[in-house]
Amino acid sequence: MTAYIIRRLLYTIPIVFGVLMLTFVLFTLVGGDISLEIAGKGATQETIDEIREEYGFNKPLFLAWDSQFINHFKSALTFDFGRARDREPIIGKIKRGVGPSLALTVPMFFGVVIISVSLALVVAFVHGSIWDISAVFICVAGMSIPYLSFILFGQYFLAYKWGVFPVFFSPDLTMAQYVALPALIGIVAGLGGNLRFYRTVMLDEMRSDYVRTAFAKGLDTKRVLFKHVLKNAMIPIITRVVLAIPFLFLGSLLLERFFGIPGLGYLMIGAISSRDYFVINAMTYISAILFVVFNLITDICYSLVDPRVSLE
Amino acid sequence: MSILKHKPILLLVGLIAATFVLAGCDSSSSDKDSDEMVLRHALFTKLKGLDPGNMRDVYSVTVASQICETLYQYHFLKRPYEIVPLLAEQMPQISDDFLTYVIKIKKGVYFQDDKCFPGGRGRELKAEDFVFAVKRIANIKYLSQNWSMFDGKIVGLDEFREYTKGCESEDDVDYAREVEGLTASDEHTLVIKLKKTWPQLVGTALADIATAPIAKEAVFSYGKDIVSHPVGTGPFVLKVWHRGSYVELVRNPKFRGEPYPGEGEASDAEAGYLDDAGKIMPFADRVVWTVIEEYQPAWLLFLQGKLDNSPIPKDNYNEAITETRELTPVMKQRNIRLKKFLDPSTFWLGFNMQDPVLGSNKPLRRAISYAIDRDKFIEIFFNGRHLVAHGFIAPLMDSYDPNIKEKGYARYDPEKARELLKEAEQIHGRALPELKMAIPGTDSFSRQLGQFLKRYVTAVGLDVEVEYMDWPTYMEKVNTRSAQMFSSGVRASIPDAEDFLGMFYSKYWAPGSNRFNYLNPEFDRLYEKIEVMFDSPERKELYRKMELLVLEDCPAAFLNHRVVFALHHDWYKNYKPHAFAYGMSKYRRIDMKKRAEYKKLLKTIK
Repeated sequence: MTAYIIRRLLYTIPIVFGVLMLTFVLFTLVGGDISLEIAGKGATQETIDEIREEYGFNKPLFLAWDSQFINHFKSALTFDFGRARDREPIIGKIKRGVGPSLALTVPMFFGVVIISVSLALVVAFVHGSIWDISAVFICVAGMSIPYLSFILFGQYFLAYKWGVFPVFFSPDLTMAQYVALPALIGIVAGLGGNLRFYRTVMLDEMRSDYVRTAFAKGLDTKRVLFKHVLKNAMIPIITRVVLAIPFLFLGSLLLERFFGIPGLGYLMIGAISSRDYFVINAMTYISAILFVVFNLITDICYSLVDPRVSLE
Repeated sequence: MSILKHKPILLLVGLIAATFVLAGCDSSSSDKDSDEMVLRHALFTKLKGLDPGNMRDVYSVTVASQICETLYQYHFLKRPYEIVPLLAEQMPQISDDFLTYVIKIKKGVYFQDDKCFPGGRGRELKAEDFVFAVKRIANIKYLSQNWSMFDGKIVGLDEFREYTKGCESEDDVDYAREVEGLTASDEHTLVIKLKKTWPQLVGTALADIATAPIAKEAVFSYGKDIVSHPVGTGPFVLKVWHRGSYVELVRNPKFRGEPYPGEGEASDAEAGYLDDAGKIMPFADRVVWTVIEEYQPAWLLFLQGKLDNSPIPKDNYNEAITETRELTPVMKQRNIRLKKFLDPSTFWLGFNMQDPVLGSNKPLRRAISYAIDRDKFIEIFFNGRHLVAHGFIAPLMDSYDPNIKEKGYARYDPEKARELLKEAEQIHGRALPELKMAIPGTDSFSRQLGQFLKRYVTAVGLDVEVEYMDWPTYMEKVNTRSAQMFSSGVRASIPDAEDFLGMFYSKYWAPGSNRFNYLNPEFDRLYEKIEVMFDSPERKELYRKMELLVLEDCPAAFLNHRVVFALHHDWYKNYKPHAFAYGMSKYRRIDMKKRAEYKKLLKTIK
């Protein structure tokens, strides 16, 4: 397994290089020159030239030791992303946003996974009953409602009308208070799709011979569900769950924006709208690394939960 | 099989839901500070920085102007707007040739305490601090967005800028280097010598946050982090800036204190704006801005009494305003007040005059202008609140021509548009090609706007493709003169129409303020004339003449002037609308008793 892990880690080098190349080409060649924008209204050519020099936009793109791409590459490898366009160090922005983003996405993630896997077990077990049909109906309805509707509805009724939660972030509130409602909304909005997926996975397992055998042997329902069905359904669950973890880092754009949570989703969309390539680059690079790492973790988990899988 | 057999799982789900409810319970009120007078506002976009020398966006200026002060300001109550001293002792003494300004600085003004000073104690403000502020803008390594304000205006300043080009970095610049036209003749006297007369010097530059002194000790101590460490002389100091989230200012204990104005318009006494006359400002202990980029939460917070004031979101307009443009009974029941006021702004559909199709075809541009139903536009997009723009000078301006409606081409006349299109085709020599319209924004409002304009322009027989793009892409398109038609607007920064006229001066072609890339030698000649003229009836007439020159050439289909409808709670005092509203927090006061009563009122309403 060690050799496998080392080999996979080595694979990350071309992947990360590819990501760096892609972001550089997209933002530098396709995106165009942002000097005019930084210079502001009525800027003279000399100011624009000075900005190009300050940000290194006047250097060769590739073919020089001091080229823009080499500098882009160096800053990524050293995690020294420099300063954003508002002159704040980018790494400081990311560090500050990670906490609120994770405070929102982690409970949302676990909430969705725990509830949907648990309910999926139950509805799969009562497959064909009114409970199952109702669950499928509610799931489809939940999937059909736009995410924004959940937010607007939740914010208006739960926070404003009934006063159960705060409407918006406020420095007087604890983190638990201001992320509770958005996290709850995220869970409710995410349940439909997840519950349907896990129900299908569970049903596939329920129809297996070994389940019938287990019941025939007289094992109780709890033991069959948790000891056998759940364990055998772990491969698709792990694939879905572990690969979702890197996205937790990126936060939730809509929820963060509507509830004023100063997380990384908010940072990312702000950077996109103000064309702050320095921030976008940093976030893309970190996301790519996380994705590669969690992909590897997924493969390792496969071998841990299923002895039939071996890493070679 | 019953699902109820699986009680543990159902209990788990219930437990998770209960946890969220308990965690989020809104038991904490935002009024832990009930004894403190706190102003609570929303910012609808994130702050970019708080360094006065390099900011142009309205939100950053709004916050920074509570911390840093300028030499002059616009009177809080008097209308028409009158410029009055703030850090200056009096209005400047101007030489007979209008080229030398001598400005006495108030004594006894101190910078806020900060660790950048020896012993952490703020020192006295000196004339040299203003010299430093302007030289800093001139320093090319500082990359200030405000340089165009001073370019070619002050004796020796351009040479200083040239010198900075040779410096290695921002920190290597020697600010002691002399600039002949910018000196401190003594500790409290600033002398400015101009290359040519600049009537707007006081209104444009010396009342602009760009020239607000920021302690040089802070600039050198914090380096690039100065954007989050503004050290000024204003009534408030920065306590917390959680970037992208909220800003909190607290009262500056070293602030000298200023009396609330005792004079204003005739109606001010009746409106209660003079109740605090002579009292020492600021009144508030803290000012908090929360960044809320979506309208729904801002509106809900306002209704909950957690924001003092609010604009009216388009979707909530009918909830707040009746057909007669008054408050609805629901709003009145909450003791909410409505303020309506003209904003010095103009919006248009611009034409790129260097575009081969549009630039050489005046009938085509006029046809597009005639094709748009502006009344319908204002009704649909602004609930009928705004005014039709027949020209580009906003009605708030002294030089606004009340008869402009009869003189321009901002009328809806589809028949006339169709006639003009025939003429336009003859000029073009063949069928007119599809035109492209750049709309900044991809949100629903932008798409509706694009659809509206397209609908009216195509109705008279033109083909139009609407291109929706994010703001930076749009700016690049306009700045590189590659946009054919573009939706845009401007808001004047001073109560003088020169801001509007500058948009058509050929030396300011994009990326400058003349995004139409309009060129009219006669207009240019007049612009160069009015640029050095002081306010007079003759100048006003020239302004109007220049506006007509532009309307005749039709470089844009002018659409609307904004009229602001703003709401505030009755506890929010001294909220007189001000078109150039910077540094206003010092005037505001909260009636704490009324604010407390609102909480009780809310319970009865719910």
